Amino acid sequence: MGSVINKNFKEKIFSLGPVLLLYFLSITETDTKFSNHFEILSFELQFIVIYFWKLKNPSILGNGHIFFAGIINDIIIGMPMGISSIIYLIVSLVASYVRNITVNTSLFSDWFTFLIAIFFSQIAYLSLILNFSKITFSYTDLFYSAFFTFLFYPLFWFLFSAFKSQILGVRDE
Amino acid sequence: MSTNRDDFGIAIRSALLQKGARQKFSLFFLICISIGIFFLDNYSSKFMDRTRSILNDGIYRISTLATSPVNFISYLNSSFKKHIFTLSENKVLREKLAELQNKKFKNEFLITENKNLKEILKSESAENYSTIIAKIILDKDSPYLKSLIINKGTRSNIMKGMPVVERGHLVGRIVEVNYLSARILLLNDLNSRIPVIVQPSGTQAILIGQGTSKPKLMYLPELYKIEKDSTVYTSGKDGILSSGIPVGSINKNEELIEVKLFSDPNQLSFVNIILNLIKKKKEL
Repeated sequence: MGSVINKNFKEKIFSLGPVLLLYFLSITETDTKFSNHFEILSFELQFIVIYFWKLKNPSILGNGHIFFAGIINDIIIGMPMGISSIIYLIVSLVASYVRNITVNTSLFSDWFTFLIAIFFSQIAYLSLILNFSKITFSYTDLFYSAFFTFLFYPLFWFLFSAFKSQILGVRDE
Repeated sequence: MSTNRDDFGIAIRSALLQKGARQKFSLFFLICISIGIFFLDNYSSKFMDRTRSILNDGIYRISTLATSPVNFISYLNSSFKKHIFTLSENKVLREKLAELQNKKFKNEFLITENKNLKEILKSESAENYSTIIAKIILDKDSPYLKSLIINKGTRSNIMKGMPVVERGHLVGRIVEVNYLSARILLLNDLNSRIPVIVQPSGTQAILIGQGTSKPKLMYLPELYKIEKDSTVYTSGKDGILSSGIPVGSINKNEELIEVKLFSDPNQLSFVNIILNLIKKKKEL
């Protein structure tokens, strides 16, 4: 009986992993920009976290958490409040849509559809910044960030899949 | 064809409105809220400014706390590395010390000469301004903005536009002020524009951030030729920054004239904010 309770408790703690990772990336100084090592290398790990977990196990990552993580991220990096929430929720929307129309997914189908999520989120970002904000940004940096986010998806797909099956012990919902 | 369109409609409606087992809010509702917050934040009002300021202060403090374990680990790592490389570093430092001692005599002469010249010109010196020291509490690199958060705000008389220096070298300026914190826009940010003067030629230019480590000089005179050992200072033409703050040295990179900053924006821990200039303007 005790071991069952203990196991359930452990599962609950580990299932908070993706949410904690999302908040950690938003609220701390930790970033996924490596310009000191390679000038153009930066990617959005938040996109990968949201897309993967919304696609595989949506109950683990709530929409409310995605929204709040976006608001916190905007405050920390100094962007207009709400913009990160919008782009994160768009990634989540594409993941939910893909989940509704597909039955069996593979790494390649996930990877390809992730490109659509990145495309729509960047379109939303560009239209909001260009039309409603005075912030100047580099299209090249934005492109590189989107490119590397797409490129690194398979790596994190394997990592998160291993975490899901080995540590959480759950299958796709 | 129409079946496909129906399928798309059903799937997208389901994705937008379905809450799922443990979801409290639908995506549609949250996207609407986010858009609302974005527009409210963009159109400046007293209420939103105050709300944002309180939120900023709170989140920055939480973020500082959340980041402290990570910083502690990187501190341990760098301390360990420092310890390992102490011997080789010591050798290099001895060589540098000998070199500096030679330079010292030359500097003493230059300081005296500079002092005499300043007295003659009765020019304003950046060193005469009163400054306030602040600690960098957040340094999150973003692909979009290059900025830092410091632990001083309106409570310490900090205002928007104030220049920020590190060891007398310009780092950036204040762009957002809260009660307990403020944001510095770094010189290498794409949104940074600073009027500067290139010495010894006395040429005026604008220093523009490129998002990379070296900002570029624009609006230089036609056929401008770079002189060796040229140094860039603030010109004070905007009436916000004081003149004569050293910024960096000139580097020519193909067609661009870039400036190698004296102060590395990635290595800042403490900075000084120059308080006087804006205060003086207010008094006037």
